[in-house]
Amino acid sequence: MSVFTENFSATLPPPTRRSERWKYSSIAKLLKNEISISKEAAQGKNGWPESVSHNPVISLEAYIAVFKNGVFEPTLSNLPTSDGVECVPFSKREQNEELKFSNTYSKKEWIGELNESYRQDGLYLKVHRNVKVDRPIIIHHLTDGIGVASFPRHFIRVEEGGSLKTVVWSSATDDSSGMYNGILEATIAPNASLSMEKVCNEGGEVFHFSYEHIVQERDSRLKMNTFTIKGNWVRNELEVISLGKGTDSVFNGAYLPKGTEHVDNHTTIDHTCSDGTSSEMYRGVLYGNSTGVFNGKVFVRKDAQKTNAFQQNTNIVADRGASINAKPELEIYADDVKCAHGCTVGQFDLDSIFYLKSRGIDEKYAKALLVEALLNDVLSCVFCLELREEIMRLYTERHEW
Amino acid sequence: MLKIKNLRAKVGNNEILKGLNLEVKPGELHAIMGPNGSGKSTLAAVLSGRDSYEVISGSVNFDGIDLLELETSERAREGVFLAFQYPIEIPGVSNLNFMKAALNAKRAHKGLEPIKAKDFLAKVKDCSSLVELDGRLRDRSVNEGFSGGEKKRNEIFQMAMLEPKLAILDETDSGLDIDALRVVSKGVNAMRSSERSFIVITHYQRLLDHIVPDFVHVLSDGCIVKSGGKELALELEEKGYDWLKKSPHEIHNI
Amino acid sequence: MERTDEDKLIDEVTGKSYEFGFTTDIESDTIAPGLDEGVIRIISSKKNEPEWLLEWRLAAFKVWSDMEEPNWAHVEYEKPDFQAISYYSAPKKKKEFASLDEVDPELLKTMDKLGISIEEQKRLSGVAVDFVMDSVSVATSFKEKLGELGVIFCSLGEAIQEHPELVRKHLGSVVPQKDNYYAALNSAVFTDGSFCYIPKGVRCPMELSTYFRINQAGTGQFERTLIIAEEGSYVSYLEGCTAPQRDENQLHAAVVEIISLDEAEVKYSTVQNWYPGDKQGKGGVFNFVTKRGICHRASKISWTQVETGSAVTWKYPSCILKGDDSIGEFFSVAVTNNMQQADTGTKMIHLGKRSRSTIISKGISSGHSQNSYRGLVQIHPGAEDSRNFSVCDSLLMTDTCGAHTFPYIEAKNPTAQIEHEATTSKIGDDQIFYCLQRGIEEEEAIGLIVKGYAKDVLNKLPMEFAVEAQKLLTISLEGSVG
Repeated sequence: MSVFTENFSATLPPPTRRSERWKYSSIAKLLKNEISISKEAAQGKNGWPESVSHNPVISLEAYIAVFKNGVFEPTLSNLPTSDGVECVPFSKREQNEELKFSNTYSKKEWIGELNESYRQDGLYLKVHRNVKVDRPIIIHHLTDGIGVASFPRHFIRVEEGGSLKTVVWSSATDDSSGMYNGILEATIAPNASLSMEKVCNEGGEVFHFSYEHIVQERDSRLKMNTFTIKGNWVRNELEVISLGKGTDSVFNGAYLPKGTEHVDNHTTIDHTCSDGTSSEMYRGVLYGNSTGVFNGKVFVRKDAQKTNAFQQNTNIVADRGASINAKPELEIYADDVKCAHGCTVGQFDLDSIFYLKSRGIDEKYAKALLVEALLNDVLSCVFCLELREEIMRLYTERHEW
Repeated sequence: MLKIKNLRAKVGNNEILKGLNLEVKPGELHAIMGPNGSGKSTLAAVLSGRDSYEVISGSVNFDGIDLLELETSERAREGVFLAFQYPIEIPGVSNLNFMKAALNAKRAHKGLEPIKAKDFLAKVKDCSSLVELDGRLRDRSVNEGFSGGEKKRNEIFQMAMLEPKLAILDETDSGLDIDALRVVSKGVNAMRSSERSFIVITHYQRLLDHIVPDFVHVLSDGCIVKSGGKELALELEEKGYDWLKKSPHEIHNI
Repeated sequence: MERTDEDKLIDEVTGKSYEFGFTTDIESDTIAPGLDEGVIRIISSKKNEPEWLLEWRLAAFKVWSDMEEPNWAHVEYEKPDFQAISYYSAPKKKKEFASLDEVDPELLKTMDKLGISIEEQKRLSGVAVDFVMDSVSVATSFKEKLGELGVIFCSLGEAIQEHPELVRKHLGSVVPQKDNYYAALNSAVFTDGSFCYIPKGVRCPMELSTYFRINQAGTGQFERTLIIAEEGSYVSYLEGCTAPQRDENQLHAAVVEIISLDEAEVKYSTVQNWYPGDKQGKGGVFNFVTKRGICHRASKISWTQVETGSAVTWKYPSCILKGDDSIGEFFSVAVTNNMQQADTGTKMIHLGKRSRSTIISKGISSGHSQNSYRGLVQIHPGAEDSRNFSVCDSLLMTDTCGAHTFPYIEAKNPTAQIEHEATTSKIGDDQIFYCLQRGIEEEEAIGLIVKGYAKDVLNKLPMEFAVEAQKLLTISLEGSVG
């Protein structure tokens, strides 16, 4: 029994290093923390901190749903109201449709079970047939307080032929601590498309667990980018399941931890039907004494013939104290497929640094340029310029380039 | 131009087409819709002469020729074009060389000289701008590294290059977002003429907003169970396919 | 199970007869089969060789007798009986001709059938031809023209007579007698081959070429080629082989040595089309070849080959990158069909600083064949800043063939940069159908696909070779998709 589990009980035990999926991401530190669901937030007190803008991408014309410590903030939000979109927090929703959360994460993982048991609010977002939502929808989470836990759960469904762009952003003030445990479930119906930019920019000492479970039906398209800018201890788990022919899944990520930060990206793509394509590109630069984990699973099932799957993980270990554990995993059971994967871990290329220095650029800036180049391939997949610029600005500020 | 009579075809031991009848006159665009498994792709495969599909009985007359007697490449040279649902990648063979080989094969069939380089390049330029196909994609290997939308646009590019008499588009709209759909439709519409016919096989009605058909047919369980004008597509959009699962007799109130 | 069109096409191609299967009926002077010291003495004396060379041969024979024939994991074949082969066979006609009128008309007819009539060669870019048939060089043209530049291009036998000091200096310097089993055998019983010497700073103005034929049944072919490029010189050398149809396996154990001195460049191109055996794998040539070059400072050796023949192939053209800034290249397309087996590859040994090597190997397997690529990249401790780039691709055309890749990378220097890529792909029914639907016939489709696949290598061949090579590739793969 730990300090943490006294407040949050579960039937499943917390994972230890002996569990393959948590081998490189020990939650021992989390368990030592005294954390609880913020009472102040529940009572609607404390307001919104000055240091954090309620809209993280102000320059972007978008709808926005704001949550603080897991509670929906109606005055700070601006939800779409047109006919083709249903966008409403669960707390405000009439329960006329029984929602079935299809994934089994909460049965298999301790983290999932916690979210199921202590679930707070979340967004219910449904895009109707052939509707292209005119503006992106931002879901912004803020953790503000000492020892605060939040458990949001979101549901997205894009119906046949529909098209949706979203941004899921999590922040935390610099004096905060606690846990963020969020689950997002999405289904993309035949011939529909979903674009999601996920950004973690949390100050303080928050333990961040996020899990996305995305099901793609026939001919649908997914584009998802996961950016970890700032975060004490971050675990991004993404699971994409293709249940129909001809799906296209693109999911990329970038992480630049420093100090003693820890970033863990666990991804899974499961091709069950034929003619699907997937492309995964994760890039990381590890500074200081930070630690990183990349685990990318690609499954190609027996009937998933003519699958074309690509995975690439590139890591630069910038300082001696930093380290990365990378494990690409390909399980291929079909024989007429095209699958490629690449994984590299190295240092900055000395020749390139020298070349830049010889042109008058100092070492620090030279390295910054190389990192920018590394990031650009992922950034260029972000759907809008405003967001790209904001992400780059935050990275630049953080690393003093 | 195309007369299909009582076509029955099977794959392995499964009979998929069970007596299909269809007549397409020159200049017409026929849309074929239907639920999964109804036989839409089988129809495309049989018309293009795919090996694994066996014709049990029936006839297909294409401009006076018995189409079923011809090999795939012969049908192509006679003017049948199939835009694939999942276009194939051929690494190492450039798009341009591929088109040149196909064009010249057709010309040779007609007793013409191979196309001159200058004319070929001019044609390539015209056809690629029709579908907004980037110059770089033209020089790459056939469909290699192309996105879904680019592959479909490449199919229409090829159609424009080969100028077929009958173009069969097999679910060309599957997997396309609105912008790609717009470009593909523009290309198809630009190719419509009184001498050219189209069979557009689609699963999603949305395509027909952009490519307006002359006739719409519903394929269900291997037969055409209902035919109509473009309004039929809208009816299907509202009602779905379930109401058609009755037998053809019931639907036509016979 | 239903017979697909592919099955029918496969039947058709395996019935296709070997285009070049024919024999020339010329009287041959052959010695009885068997191999012992006595045979070697006879060979040496028939060729009028100096004493030192006889000693060299005998030393090789001794070494060979103590060696054991190697076994290779992915190649199975009936071991040749070395005592059942005749080691010398020469046409009786004299070998020197002032003009082509004096060449045996039968021979001319042979050359015509091979499609390389000397007349044609003369009219083309001025390729000098050294025609080797059954262990004796027959015609050498353009000798005078090359002579003006100081370029020596003649048969090895001639070189031993007229330039013994050159031969003595370099023979065995790259492939010593004890190098391997077949090199030892070749060193003992080699009958002839080509000798090429380019003096300092000379750029050989034409491509040098040679043709081989195995004529008599039971004759092993033990060619030995020696190419010496002095400082700053350049030569492009073409080797192309054909062989007639035979029931017994014919052995081809050649040795090629290339010495590329400082800043010299040697391009060695091969189009090989030995008889591959019938579709049951019977007959066909055994091709066990040792080809190696040594690069001195800033010199370059490129091996380019297109291989479509022989029943069993064991061949590793290699470069010893001895000098600093030396470059070794290997470009290869190897096709195996029916029951052929190939275990081929290359060795790049980096000794010099900043040495570079490039390997592009494209294997195409069809039928029931087995195609293995074995590549060794060895970076020695002194080879600072050396680089290697290897691409090894396999293309499978049936589900009964096999392709295997064994890259060996040994880096003993931390500044080395080694890149290796390997891909495996299939020409499937879908690709063929796609081409058919665009009006392109199956044969043309395969040709397009294979040419596209092999173009990186075909681009490296001298033009006239490239044309023959392309034709060869397509012919050897007709109807082979299944």
